[in-house]
Amino acid sequence: MKNLYRPIESVIEDIKRETPNITTYRFRPKEPVTFEAGQFVELTVPGVGEAPFTPSSNPNVKDTLEITIMRVGKVTEALEQMKVGDTVGLRGPYGNGYNMKDFQGKEVLIVGGGVGLAPLRSLILALFDDIDKYKKISIRYGARSPEDIVYRDLLPEWEKKKNTEVLLTIDEPHAEWSGTVGVVTVLLDNLPLLTTVDVENLPFHADNAVACICGPPIMLKFVNMVLLQKGFAPSNIYLSMERNMSCGLGKCGHCMLGEYYICMDGPVMTAEQVSKFEDPF
Amino acid sequence: MREVFIGRENLLKLIGRWAKDHRVYVPVTFPIMNREQTPDYELVTDEVPETLCLEGAALATNPKSFVFYPREVVAEYPSGEPEADVEAPPTVVVGPRGCDLRGLQKFDKVYWSTRHFTEEYDDPFFIEKRENLYIVSVDCTFAKETCFCTKVGGSPWPTDGFDVNLSPVDGGYVVTVGSEKGETLLSGNDDLLTEARPEQLEKREQRRRSVTEAIDRQNAEFFDAVQDSYDKLDLEGTKDAWAYVTQNCVACGACNRCCPSCTCFLLADQEAGGAYERTRNWDTCLSIGYARTGGGGNARPELPQRLEHRLRCKFEYSRDRYGLVTCTGCGRCIDVCMGRIDMREAMRHVLTTEKAEA
Repeated sequence: MKNLYRPIESVIEDIKRETPNITTYRFRPKEPVTFEAGQFVELTVPGVGEAPFTPSSNPNVKDTLEITIMRVGKVTEALEQMKVGDTVGLRGPYGNGYNMKDFQGKEVLIVGGGVGLAPLRSLILALFDDIDKYKKISIRYGARSPEDIVYRDLLPEWEKKKNTEVLLTIDEPHAEWSGTVGVVTVLLDNLPLLTTVDVENLPFHADNAVACICGPPIMLKFVNMVLLQKGFAPSNIYLSMERNMSCGLGKCGHCMLGEYYICMDGPVMTAEQVSKFEDPF
Repeated sequence: MREVFIGRENLLKLIGRWAKDHRVYVPVTFPIMNREQTPDYELVTDEVPETLCLEGAALATNPKSFVFYPREVVAEYPSGEPEADVEAPPTVVVGPRGCDLRGLQKFDKVYWSTRHFTEEYDDPFFIEKRENLYIVSVDCTFAKETCFCTKVGGSPWPTDGFDVNLSPVDGGYVVTVGSEKGETLLSGNDDLLTEARPEQLEKREQRRRSVTEAIDRQNAEFFDAVQDSYDKLDLEGTKDAWAYVTQNCVACGACNRCCPSCTCFLLADQEAGGAYERTRNWDTCLSIGYARTGGGGNARPELPQRLEHRLRCKFEYSRDRYGLVTCTGCGRCIDVCMGRIDMREAMRHVLTTEKAEA
């Protein structure tokens, strides 16, 4: 019987520093590890431990995958000591990704906070591959400060894509920043309420839109709240739930949210699915 | 189901025959400081011990340990094989009670064939041991004061999930065969078995009734609300009530470890002989690190939230996910709690405290 716990040897092929504490790694697994946008993998730093990450690369690229990782704990700190050519372990993919079929013909609102833009990048690249199928792609991203913005070189390229807009904000005023300031919800201020009379000229149509949110739990909570106020249906709000997915197999219990195992039923869940919990974030 | 009778001496012989080609664990009593202790499992190595004891209620040791080891190597890397290497010799365990078997149902769901799992998530380390496990269960002949199986849909005798069941009656045991595996345990041993006489079966029913009555009696005041309505029990919004019941909890996790339906584990990696190994270890949802995520986030930073999670997992979450109420009423978590938390009283407190307005 197949061993579910065995990591697949993967070589670090490239390391790119994004911010002082965020790095993007490209891995080449010795056995294929393919995924859908939003699914996650377990990354093993040999002898140190395992942690769950959602890849940030295009899911249509099959032989390598990239993960953008913030240094926060034991595994990520050990990973930072590794070099190109070193070997890590990967297993997966696990969980449910975005239901992208459901996005077709709709406006797609993408809201990221901090390193939360990383899993969304995988979705964004998958959307770009079929860009004609979607009415609009609106990316709204908040970082702590200008130097904490990830994918700085990619954002201008994304903006040039058809029917795509990119809005940025930073948390606090900064000498080198002339753009929007405030937590990411300020980027939602221009979303009209559905009750607006002049429906034709709206910048966004919540009744025919889906929203994908990824970021720290507190940000998920408030962005979700604002989008519900703006008229998004709970079934159209996709949240990246943050839990400690330790085994990825629906067994170890660490990622439970009520009867859900986030590793099986998530990590992408709709606001409708989690609405019965007092505080799911 | 086939029912026969076996005398005590013959049972010892039968266990001896099993021990020739199985690992056999039996409950035995042994004196410590000149006092008889409650029985615990012991491996039969030579003679079947005369102190074999099938009386009483559930043993302190939980039979989940036979299929889900407290610590087990589940992977070696980088050079590990794709196929799992599992050592699982045929093992007979004599002594599990009805509550223990209900706990194993949860294991079967989680590790074998859970909701919307595909086969690729079947756990080889559990399944191989489970398939090679022969369960010889036993009726309870009396209730501990912490037993409450009848209040959570169980009974002090096994109703399913056993291969062979033994019901102590005068001078021996009524033997019930519950599965094909059970048939194989008995086949070729007809010389030790006799037909079960009506008065023996009657004696069994009588004992079952009296233990059931004892359990009902000692739990008369405990959470009928759960018993009557656990199919629609909803404790969302009871956050405040949990602070009170958690006062004496020290998050030691003893309740998790002795619980027949606690399936959770922690994976830990370490160096081993120039390579690396990954172990699977019993874990406790009461520890602060259990739900901690990278960067310091924590879904349940407060102890009352964690005890709430543990008990709601038994009554609500497992019911909604697997269709099982997984508190089996064995009472072990009450027996071992150093804070003397009685989960029956905890549930009663939570159920009788008004919910906060959402």
